[in-house]
Amino acid sequence: MIFNTFIYYFLFLLPSAALYRLVPGRLRPWIIVGFGSGFFLYFAYGMAGFWGALCLFIFLWESLVSRLYRPSSRWCMLGIAQSVLLLGVFKYWNFFTGLFFAQGVNPARWQGAFLPLGISFFTFEFYHYAWDRRAGKTEAGTLGEYLAFILFFPTMVAGPIKRYQDFLPKLRAKPIGWNQDWERGMTRILTGLVKKFAVADLLTAWTNHLNAHDILLADRRILPLWALAYGIKIYADFSGYSDIAIGSARLFGIRVPENFDWPYGRRNIQRFWQCWHISLTRWLTDYVYIPLGGSRVSAPRIYANIVAVMLVSGLWHGAGLNFIVWGLWHGLLLAGHRLWRQLRGAPSTHPVPVFLSRILTFVLVNAAWPFFCMDLHTAILFYRRLLAG
Amino acid sequence: MLTTFRATLDYLGGSRDDAPQLLAGPLGAAARCAVWLLAIALIYAFCGQSSKFIYIDF
Repeated sequence: MIFNTFIYYFLFLLPSAALYRLVPGRLRPWIIVGFGSGFFLYFAYGMAGFWGALCLFIFLWESLVSRLYRPSSRWCMLGIAQSVLLLGVFKYWNFFTGLFFAQGVNPARWQGAFLPLGISFFTFEFYHYAWDRRAGKTEAGTLGEYLAFILFFPTMVAGPIKRYQDFLPKLRAKPIGWNQDWERGMTRILTGLVKKFAVADLLTAWTNHLNAHDILLADRRILPLWALAYGIKIYADFSGYSDIAIGSARLFGIRVPENFDWPYGRRNIQRFWQCWHISLTRWLTDYVYIPLGGSRVSAPRIYANIVAVMLVSGLWHGAGLNFIVWGLWHGLLLAGHRLWRQLRGAPSTHPVPVFLSRILTFVLVNAAWPFFCMDLHTAILFYRRLLAG
Repeated sequence: MLTTFRATLDYLGGSRDDAPQLLAGPLGAAARCAVWLLAIALIYAFCGQSSKFIYIDF
């Protein structure tokens, strides 16, 4: 729940944001560290019990190891390896070990598996810091500043994924414009809550039908509407979440990256991904696509890189074959779009093709959501019923 | 026209600081006030059925 609870606002956000503006500069990072730790302990305990709360040590350990990072240092690679390893164990252990055994007979299965709060997101911030320190692209900052970066609770659980070099100057600057920051921040939070309560949660009445039982019983003409409802729901839900996170950060006087920019109105799949979950797209571009060679390699490698990045994106979203198929779908769309652009040259500016391309992009994106919200078997059933009756 | 419409919505939703020309001055303050009232009314009307945010589990 978190952002839609009174506890978040009255126990964490409002006191910490007010205190942050009142204390001297050297104490400001520690206000974030203190409230961020309390936030993690409270909500992680609520979601995963004692062991979940104990995962606060991941942050503390990472912050200590991060003090060893230097440009070109092997410690940075160790930091990257340990953050990826932690994510791999907590999120993918049962999935990957399960691939080698029949269902229900996995001897390596971790019975009490749980997902530490926000691990997919804070792993990316750990990774980014280690990588950029190694490349000499960011300064180390103090221990308090780094802890404030990773424990900044408005963005800790589900982003937007921040960059240390963007965050640090804002943390060091004295927050000014209290009135405007709070007016804009609170407006953003209210907008996010409206998206969540009045749109996303309302559509649950339709998206709840996306299960094998209801798909088998439903009139096939209703199935696209359920998929469309999920497409609108996930946009309202996640962009609403991002609004609250960005608005919350604004109360501190800190601006964090935007995550959405009207993605559903875009005219091709590349533009869609530049406007949907923007901070993730940029992270994948900088830390997966470019290290793979980006667009500076041979044409077949470029296409392979695009598909590989979207497979990583799919797998990051969840440990399941359905997420891999969802990533593959988008990878193929992006590769197909690149090929189309190379064959056809610059896109037309005539209003009719522009309008049609916007519709086509919208349909292709929404056609993939069943793979995102259902396991692979149920998603295939969905398409079989939709296309073959 | 679409750009102005988007800019207006962005401003009223809190994701943009600069008011579009239409909302500069007293009209902007009234519009912001109306947005807050509408938002609070909608939140109050729909908050009872809330569920977990989807991306929390990622």
